[in-house]
Amino acid sequence: MAHPAQMGFQDAATPVMEELLHFHDHALMIVYLISTMVFYIIVAMVTTELTNKYILDSQEIEIMWTALPAIILVLIAMPSIRVLYLMDEINDPHLTIKAMGHQWYWSYEYTDYENLTFDSYMTPTQDLTPGQFRLLETDHRMVVPTDAPIRVLVSAEDVLHSWAVPSLGVKMDAVPGRLNQTAFIASRAGVFYGQCSEICGANHSFMPIVVEAVPLEHFEIWTAMMMEDV
Amino acid sequence: MLSTVSRQLRSHPALIPLFIFIGGGCTMSLSYLARLALRNPDVCWDRKNNPEPWNKMAPTDQYKFYTVNMDYSKLKKDRPDF
Repeated sequence: MAHPAQMGFQDAATPVMEELLHFHDHALMIVYLISTMVFYIIVAMVTTELTNKYILDSQEIEIMWTALPAIILVLIAMPSIRVLYLMDEINDPHLTIKAMGHQWYWSYEYTDYENLTFDSYMTPTQDLTPGQFRLLETDHRMVVPTDAPIRVLVSAEDVLHSWAVPSLGVKMDAVPGRLNQTAFIASRAGVFYGQCSEICGANHSFMPIVVEAVPLEHFEIWTAMMMEDV
Repeated sequence: MLSTVSRQLRSHPALIPLFIFIGGGCTMSLSYLARLALRNPDVCWDRKNNPEPWNKMAPTDQYKFYTVNMDYSKLKKDRPDF
């Protein structure tokens, strides 16, 4: 989840999010270098006492400041296209989970083997126990096994919602009448928080998403327990 | 038109990289659009003979422009024919 005064992304929990982090570092470094150079030029222009009233044009510098930005843009575009296509790849998922958005909660359906369906409501602030996160905790978490490609089919039952978990590098709009597909591989065990990312009414800010990644044995124990309860 | 441009280019050679990059960018965009129009299975050109090409997708075909990790030739076809 996010930390107070956080400046960057949340820690990555999937290989795709790691790639996004690295690309962001690359692009941001280029942006820092260009901004520093521009700021230096501005300061130099403003503080100089030299003048030249007779310069009309210069072909060499024009070539430079056409070619160099174009090359820089290509250097940004190549990793960007790579990450973009990487995000679209869905390699043989082990598990398919349906995440359905409602006003104002999510429901998860694990229907590959048994018919496991449950709703996930936000824990109200007055019901939080010490150590829990306000406006982020839910009564039921979406539990997934680690190191397994998971396909998430996202849709909505009433209005637009969006299923987003920043640590997993995943955001997919939930459109009523439409099935959207996204996938991730949780590389490490942990609890990852996200929030509904498409305005959906009064409690849009109060329908969070909690994904808990556990080793496969624990996932199987959890599904057995949920089947008994539900 | 071309003679005017080449005359101006000779006196302002800084325009040459501009032509190269803008021309290259336009070429790349238009070829990608053409690839999408002709190769994308979501596009239907011939309503009589090939009305729904998206129903004829094989699992081993690569429809995307670039693959990072996936090897489409290794995928098996485990679904029935439509």
